[in-house]
Amino acid sequence: MSVLANFGGVLRAPPALVAIGVAVLVGGLLVLVSGADPLQAYAQIVVGALWPQNLPDTLNWATPLVGMTLAAAIPLRGGMINLGGDGQLVIGALVGAVAPLVAPLPGPIAAALALLGAGLAGGLYAALAAWGEIRFRVPMLISSLLLSYPAVGIVSYLVRFPLRDTTTGLPQTAMVPDGARLPILIGPLNMGVLMIVVIAALVVLVDRRTVIGYELRMRGANARFAAYGGVALGRQALGAMFSSGAIAGLVGAIIVLGGQFRYIDDALLSPAYTWSGLMAALLAQGEPAGAVLAGLFFAALQTGGFAMQRETSVPRVLTLVLQSIVILFLAVRGGLGKRER
Amino acid sequence: MAPAPELEAIGVVKRYGALLANDHIDLTVESGEILAVMGENGAGKSTLMSLLYGLQRPDEGRILLRGAEVRFSSALDAIAAGMGMVHQAFKLFDSLTVWENVVFGAEPRRGPFIDRRAARAQVESLTEAHGLRVDPDAIVGALSVGVRQRIEILKALYRRARVLILDEPTAVLTPQERDGLFAVMRRLAGEGRTILFVTHKLHEAMAIADRVTVLRDARVVARMRTSQTTQSEIVRAMTGRNVDLQISRGVAAAGAPLLEVEGLTVAGAGAKPLVEGASFQVRAGEIVGLAGVAGNGQTELVEALTGLRVPDKGAVRVAGATLTARDVAAHRHAGLAYIPEDRVAVGAALGADATDNLAMGFHRAAPLSHRGLLNVAAMVKRARELIAKFNVKIASERALAGSLSGGNLQKMVVARELSHEAPVLIAEQPTRGVDIGAIEFIHGQLIAERDIGRAVLLVSAELTEILGLSDRILVMYEGRIVADMARSQASEEKLGLLMAGRTAAS
Repeated sequence: MSVLANFGGVLRAPPALVAIGVAVLVGGLLVLVSGADPLQAYAQIVVGALWPQNLPDTLNWATPLVGMTLAAAIPLRGGMINLGGDGQLVIGALVGAVAPLVAPLPGPIAAALALLGAGLAGGLYAALAAWGEIRFRVPMLISSLLLSYPAVGIVSYLVRFPLRDTTTGLPQTAMVPDGARLPILIGPLNMGVLMIVVIAALVVLVDRRTVIGYELRMRGANARFAAYGGVALGRQALGAMFSSGAIAGLVGAIIVLGGQFRYIDDALLSPAYTWSGLMAALLAQGEPAGAVLAGLFFAALQTGGFAMQRETSVPRVLTLVLQSIVILFLAVRGGLGKRER
Repeated sequence: MAPAPELEAIGVVKRYGALLANDHIDLTVESGEILAVMGENGAGKSTLMSLLYGLQRPDEGRILLRGAEVRFSSALDAIAAGMGMVHQAFKLFDSLTVWENVVFGAEPRRGPFIDRRAARAQVESLTEAHGLRVDPDAIVGALSVGVRQRIEILKALYRRARVLILDEPTAVLTPQERDGLFAVMRRLAGEGRTILFVTHKLHEAMAIADRVTVLRDARVVARMRTSQTTQSEIVRAMTGRNVDLQISRGVAAAGAPLLEVEGLTVAGAGAKPLVEGASFQVRAGEIVGLAGVAGNGQTELVEALTGLRVPDKGAVRVAGATLTARDVAAHRHAGLAYIPEDRVAVGAALGADATDNLAMGFHRAAPLSHRGLLNVAAMVKRARELIAKFNVKIASERALAGSLSGGNLQKMVVARELSHEAPVLIAEQPTRGVDIGAIEFIHGQLIAERDIGRAVLLVSAELTEILGLSDRILVMYEGRIVADMARSQASEEKLGLLMAGRTAAS
C-alpha cells in the first residue's frame, strides 16, 4: 500500500522529467548488461552533444528535427495527428531541389521561390488528408500516413528516372546553382537554422496570443466545446494540416538547399526526422514551446549518440531506445493516471 | 423485545484518500418500510448505497441484516443475502426478451439446458403477484423507460430481494410512470419488503416515504418522519440554511418574437425524422418551456436551433436574422446564447482553465481580441469579474475547469452564456445534477433574463421546473411539437399525458 502511495507521488512529478529519468535508468541497465560502462556512454553522449565545438553539429541536426517537431505539434495541439510528415517532407524537398534548376532566375529569388513552393506543396498535400476526413470521413490518422507512401514512391521514381543527374551513377538530381543555396552562417550552420527559429517563435506566438491559436487549443481540450463556441472544425482542420505540411515541406527544402544541394534519394528519410519530431511533440503534448525543447533534447541525444558510437563500444541505437522508452513510459503513465481517478 | 430492524448500518465510515465520503453513518430501516435517503450531490448517498449493496467495503463500522452482521465482498454476496438494487442506468440486454433478462444469471435448468417454459412461467407469475404489468415475451429494446425499470425491479424480486435500493428512480419517468412506480413501491412495502429510495426530489419523498434520512457533508444530519415534517424542513437539513422553494416570478410582458422556428425538420437514420415540422416562437420577455420525455427530439431540435446540426427543412430566425443552415458562429453572432444539456462534454473544456473557458464565444471580438490577436489581460479580467459576479467557487481564474464541482461548473457555463447579453437564450436542462443552492440561483437568473426583455427557451425534463418558470409550454413527443399552451392552462397531469403521446382531453 505504502509502496503504491510512493509510486503515486512519483507519478505526480512533471511527467516528461520522470519519463526521461526512467529512460536513462533503463538505458543504463541495458548498457551494463551488454558489458559496457553506462556512465562512460552517457558522458560521451553529453560531450558529443553539448561540448562547445560540437554544438554547431547538434544545432545542424536539430534544425530539421525541430522543424518536424513543430509540424507534428500543430495538429496535435488541436487533438489531430499528422502521420504523413515523410511524404510532405520529400515533396517539399523535391520542389526545393527542382525549382532552382528549372527557373532561370537570380539565385536568392530562385531560393525564395523554391522555399515558398516547397511549403505550399507540402501544405496542400497535408491538407488533402484533412479534406478526406471532412468530405468522406476517412480518419486523418490513417489517410495522412497512407498518403505518405505514394508521395515517397513517386518522388523516388522521379529522382531515379526523369530528373536524374545522368553524370553521376547515383539516384539523385543535378546540383542546384551556387546562388540558390542557403547562405552559411558559421561552420556547418546555414540560414535554415534561423528560419526554423523564426518559425518556432511564430508558432509559439500564434499558440499563445492569437484567436486561431486559442481556438486550436480549445479544440485539443474538447472538440465539441470548440464547435459549440462557434469554431468551424472543418476549416480549422484544413488550416492546421496545411500549416503542418507547409512546415514539413519547408524542412525538406531547407535540407536540400542548405546541406545536400540536390535531392538524394533516401537521404531525407533515413534519419527519421518525422518520427523523432512526432515523439518530441507527443512528449510535450503538442504545446509548441515544450515541443521545441523536446525536439532539441532528442537532437542532442542523437548527435551525442554518434559521438558515443565513435568513442565507446556502445552503438548509437541506444539513443533511439532511450527516446522510445520516454514515450512508452509517458503512454503508460497516462493510462495509470486515468485508472487512479 | 422488538424484532431486529431489517437493515442497519452502525458507524459506517468510508474514505477516498483524504476525502471522507461517509462519516460514521447510522441508518436503520424496518421491514415493510420505505425510507427516503436524501441529500445534495456529493453528500454521500451513492457511497452509502454502494456500501450497503456490497459494491465497496466500509473502512469502519458494521452493517446488520435482520440483526446479523454481514460483510459483503461483492454485490453477489449482497444479492444472495436478499438485497436488490435498481441503478439509474439500467443494466439490461436490449436484444433479449423480458423473461430472458429477468432470469439471466439464475436460470432454472433442466439438465444442461435452460428450462425456458419454467423460466417464462416464473416471470409471468412474478409480474402478476406484484402488479408489475409487463409482457414476458416483449423485446426489451422496444420498451419504454418506465417498463424497463419494472424489469429491473422484477430482476431483483426474482432473486428474492427483501431489501430494494432504488437510486433516483424517477429521474427518467413521466409523471404517470412515476405514479405507477409509487404504486408498485407501496405494494412491495405492503408485502413486507423494505425499500431504500434515494432521491433529491422533496415532493416525491413526502409522497411515498415513511421516513427520511438526510445526509449532508458525509454525515447524517436529520432523521424525520414524513408525517411530522415539511418540505422546507427537509431542505433546511439538506442545505443547512433556509431556501425559498417557491419560484417567485412576476407576470410576463411578452413583446416581439425573437426566436422564430418554422417547419423545422431533422431527418434521422431511419424513415422517421428526429424532428418533424416544428414551428413555434419565443417572444421578448417570456420563458417558453419545452417539455418531453428525454429522447423525443429535444436534443436534435436544440442542435438545429443553435447551428450544431444542419436541419433538412424549415427556417430559424434569431432577432429577425434568417439563420437556416448557417454555422454556429453565425447563430451566436445573430444573438443566441446557449446553455447546453451536457456541461462536461459540450459546455466546457475541463482540461483548460477558467479564463479560457469563459472566453469561448467572445474571443473573436473586442475587448478579448483585436485583429486576431488575443488580449490576455482582458480575458483574465473578464474571468475574474464573472467568477465574482456569479459566485463560482474556484481556486483562481487560472484553475482548471475540471477542478470545479458540478454546480460550480454549471454556474460557470451559465455565467458565460448570460454575459453574452444575447436577445435569445436557450437553456437546456440548466439545473440537472446541481445542488439546491445553484438551482435557486440559476432559476433566479433565468427569470431576470426574461424580465429585462430577453427570449428564453427552457428545455427541461423536470416538470416542476417547466411549470415553475415558464410563461408558455410546448410539449414534444416523437419529434413533433404536440402542444403549445399558456402556463395557466397547463397542469402536471395534462403535460404528463401529452408527454406520453396521448392527446389532452380539452
